[in-house]
Amino acid sequence: MNNSLLVVVLAQGVVYGTPLLYAALGELLAERSGVLNLGVEGMMLVGAVMGFWAVQRFHVSSPLALIGALAVAALAGATMAAIHAFLVITLRANQIVSGLALTIFAGVAGLSSYLGNDLNLAKSPARHEFQAIFPKSLQDVGVVGPILFGQSALVYASWACVVLVALYLTRTRAGLNVRAVGESPAAADAMGINVARYRYAHTLLGGAFAGIGGATFSLSITPQWLAGLTQGAGWIAIALVIFAFWRPTLCLVGAYFFGAFTYLPFALQKYHWAPPPELSQSLPYVMTVVALVLVSSRAARLRFGAPAALGLPYVREEN
Amino acid sequence: MIRIERRLEQPRRLVVVVPVVSIVVAFLIATIVLLATSHPPLHTFRRLFDAAFLANGALTETVVSATPLAFTGLAAAVAFRMNLFNIGGEGQLYAGAITGAAMGLLLAGAPSPVVIGLMMVAGAAGGALLAAIPGVLRAFFSTNEIITSLMLNYVLALVIDYLIFDSHSYLRETKGFEASVFPQGKKLPPEATWSSWTIHGLALPLGFLVAIGLAAAVWGLYARTRFGFEVQVIGDSVRAGRYAGMRTRRKILAVMCLSGAIAGLGGASQDGDFRHQLDPRGLTQANYGYTGIVVAALARYNPFAVVLVAFMLGGLQNAGYTLQGADFPAGLVGVLQGLILFSVLGGEVLIRYRIRFDRRPAKAEAAAPEPAS
Amino acid sequence: MLQTRAIEKRVAELSRRFGLAVDPRARIWQLSLGEQQRVEILKALYQDARILILDEPTAVLTPHEADALFETVRAMAADGRTVIFISHKLHEVKAVADRVTVLRRGRSIATVPVAEATLRSLAALMVGREVEIGRRADGLRAAGEAVLELEAVSANGDRGALALRDVSLCVGGGEIVAIAGVAGNGQRELAETIAGMRPLAAGAVRVRRRRLRGGDPREAIASGVAYVPEDRLGTGVAPGLSVASNVVLKSYRQPPASRGPILRLRRIRELAQHLMQHYDVRASSPQVPAWQLSGGNLQKVVLAREFSGEPAVLVAASPTRGLDVAGIETVHAFLRDAATRGIGVLLISEDLDEILALADRIAVMYEGSVVGERDAGSATVEELGLMMAGGEREQQ
Repeated sequence: MNNSLLVVVLAQGVVYGTPLLYAALGELLAERSGVLNLGVEGMMLVGAVMGFWAVQRFHVSSPLALIGALAVAALAGATMAAIHAFLVITLRANQIVSGLALTIFAGVAGLSSYLGNDLNLAKSPARHEFQAIFPKSLQDVGVVGPILFGQSALVYASWACVVLVALYLTRTRAGLNVRAVGESPAAADAMGINVARYRYAHTLLGGAFAGIGGATFSLSITPQWLAGLTQGAGWIAIALVIFAFWRPTLCLVGAYFFGAFTYLPFALQKYHWAPPPELSQSLPYVMTVVALVLVSSRAARLRFGAPAALGLPYVREEN
Repeated sequence: MIRIERRLEQPRRLVVVVPVVSIVVAFLIATIVLLATSHPPLHTFRRLFDAAFLANGALTETVVSATPLAFTGLAAAVAFRMNLFNIGGEGQLYAGAITGAAMGLLLAGAPSPVVIGLMMVAGAAGGALLAAIPGVLRAFFSTNEIITSLMLNYVLALVIDYLIFDSHSYLRETKGFEASVFPQGKKLPPEATWSSWTIHGLALPLGFLVAIGLAAAVWGLYARTRFGFEVQVIGDSVRAGRYAGMRTRRKILAVMCLSGAIAGLGGASQDGDFRHQLDPRGLTQANYGYTGIVVAALARYNPFAVVLVAFMLGGLQNAGYTLQGADFPAGLVGVLQGLILFSVLGGEVLIRYRIRFDRRPAKAEAAAPEPAS
Repeated sequence: MLQTRAIEKRVAELSRRFGLAVDPRARIWQLSLGEQQRVEILKALYQDARILILDEPTAVLTPHEADALFETVRAMAADGRTVIFISHKLHEVKAVADRVTVLRRGRSIATVPVAEATLRSLAALMVGREVEIGRRADGLRAAGEAVLELEAVSANGDRGALALRDVSLCVGGGEIVAIAGVAGNGQRELAETIAGMRPLAAGAVRVRRRRLRGGDPREAIASGVAYVPEDRLGTGVAPGLSVASNVVLKSYRQPPASRGPILRLRRIRELAQHLMQHYDVRASSPQVPAWQLSGGNLQKVVLAREFSGEPAVLVAASPTRGLDVAGIETVHAFLRDAATRGIGVLLISEDLDEILALADRIAVMYEGSVVGERDAGSATVEELGLMMAGGEREQQ
């Protein structure tokens, strides 16, 4: 097995990047419809804890239990997102405040820990966890082996999701509509598109994805439940969406980028030279800010920038 | 079909009644949750209240928790009042903590009032400078300040980590056994310890008093000065502000810097009042900046209410830490805070709008006609 | 799934058939206004609309693009579709339509076949011969010294194209000069340029003989320009703030509203109460938020405020829009009063009745330029109507 630094870092980058990717894809969908949801961390944690609970409870074969657990995690995430959706879409509350409220409500000092504690989930490791799918022999193939073939089903499913979301946004009617809703809800409304319905759907989807992202932690990476398991991954996912300029394919690249840079310090411990890990870790954020500055001309902002109506409530009469 | 229409007048009593009712609703829901998970609600609430305010030394601890929230809450309120969504309070607090600690270390040996005063200045400057970045970007390049200020939070979190954990910076402790085992910040000299006054057993740190003073100052600034008038106008209608000859871009930058300065002061207070060193782990885990936004929202951006709400939430946080353990539900504090927030946010709508239940389909709505002269 | 290629093919086909050249792959923000308009029309055609309504479509087009549009419209008609083409520009009507219906004040006046109509006859229908000249409450005023001078002023519109072309105008103290014209011919941009809300692309604006840099509302206010904007609630007031706050919207920087950096709230309230009483603004108190006021009352507040600054020039853009008869009377009284006090009033209005009742001199704007100027005494309604509709251009 190729143990060179590069390969190990990349392979682990994929591992750590996968929950980021799921959560970012979800947040991307919500933001494309114009809804900013800062509660990703909370949704991921609730997904993680409920997915874990499910896998401990389901007395069926491993693949079924895992799929069931993922479904539960997705549902849990979506439920959390529904609170945010109701507040900001129907009641027109401030999206920032509502998202933060969700993080507090569901986060490490909130519901997820409450449930984890009350359901006694920290006691034992997961009964089933996502293992690598491909045989060991493939995994050892040169450079590519560990990176491509050493991953669990969750990773491969995430690649499929990237493709699906990308196709959805660019090639389907619904995807076109949601982009219109995010850019100009008034125009979309005038064309007969139900703005509220699209926003609800995509915010809930965002929650479902975040839930699955959280479950990636409790069912694959550390197959255990610990309070605050995600350790800020939800926040990174929010940054990731911006870093990826709201495009699914760039989310993939970015997630692994962030994942690799998170893992890098551990890897470098073996070698005693180490540029400060914070330097590499801060690179993505600094790059994003720089990029956002460069993208300040109107044309560039239209091409690369945020959905124009992001964060703004839509009220038909007041427009 | 639910229709929401703008109220023509906002009865004053609603502004008080609705938040109170919201909090009651929040506690009701919490009661249901507790009952469903076999915890005794009344007993739990009483323990919370006790640990927050009544127990020995509880009030002091509550003030400790409330002080940073008051700063970040004020910082958020100052900006959000003008529809500037500065969510970079977190990073601006770190920046103030860095500059404040550095100043405290540099001035070792100087008379205490000087050190404390300059620490405050340094803290405010650090926060203001950081906030200037999203400020300039928004004012002169129309870049969304939510995104830029958010990004800088991540950057500052890494910077503050770097300064203590991965570098041998001025701020890091290099002597002593402990330091070689676990990286930590240099202890600030005794001159840099901010004063504290004790009344009837309640310790009031300088930071808390400064925060109260700041609340009054901000209130005065916004309600009684030309600056505040311009903020009100621009916050209501940027076009009207331009029409009236106001320098909108400069105002945006000024308000962002003011917001950052207040958050930065909060960071310096953390150094001088409580931690006496630059403490990255503690600061980054506490999430003062984000909680401050929540405080500001609950207080409907009124400076005095911010201090009050900070005190309440501080009590809740404090109770949460104190009661952590086997026989107290973990995460209850977050659940309660979240429920209160959701309820208040939802209740807000009742103040501004009236909810109607209608049988008519949406298409039959006509635009509201202008009231007759 | 969207069949992108099939869609592109159909769009290209429609483009060709109706003369709407556009790249199906381009992003909207990359297109010029003319091209964007073609996209709008293509949208309608793609959905196989049988009836198309085009509302002042040439407002954003170059003459060349306008000609192309007329071709398209004729092609659509030849294809069996119905096109309703709304325009105030008579040569367009002649170029494109088979029948024309003239509307005035919400009423249909007449429907005539275009072949039988002349520019003059149409213009006459548009403005109505019943409007009498000399229906004035007072005589014509003699102008004092020039308080507002525009020399060859040009300015860009919101979308980059030139909205004001080489406008030269003069308003003397104590006279009312009216700008007549259908909305969208540069009047708003003219008002905004004078008030400093829009930068000058060329030319000079002088107030009381002093040249303004332009593009700075504060400079304009300081030199004595008062501006009553068309968009009362969106620009003229801060709708969420109280009436009192709006009364001092421009004067808050000086005494009596403030002393140094501090506001004197009581004085402000008194000021507001005084103004409200004097101008009969109906509201329960000065603390009421501005959005609650009726249109008429709001306009009184705005006018009262602009007046109180003792301006040299008062620019009033469509000041009676949306008001009832009483409201209109009040505004007219304001404007006459201003002229009596020696203020130079520039009234921008679409309503010829109003203009003829108030103005001493009338300038007509069409497509960003002043196409003619008349003394109110010698102006005829037909002439004005013709100029407003682009029927006649004079050398300046």
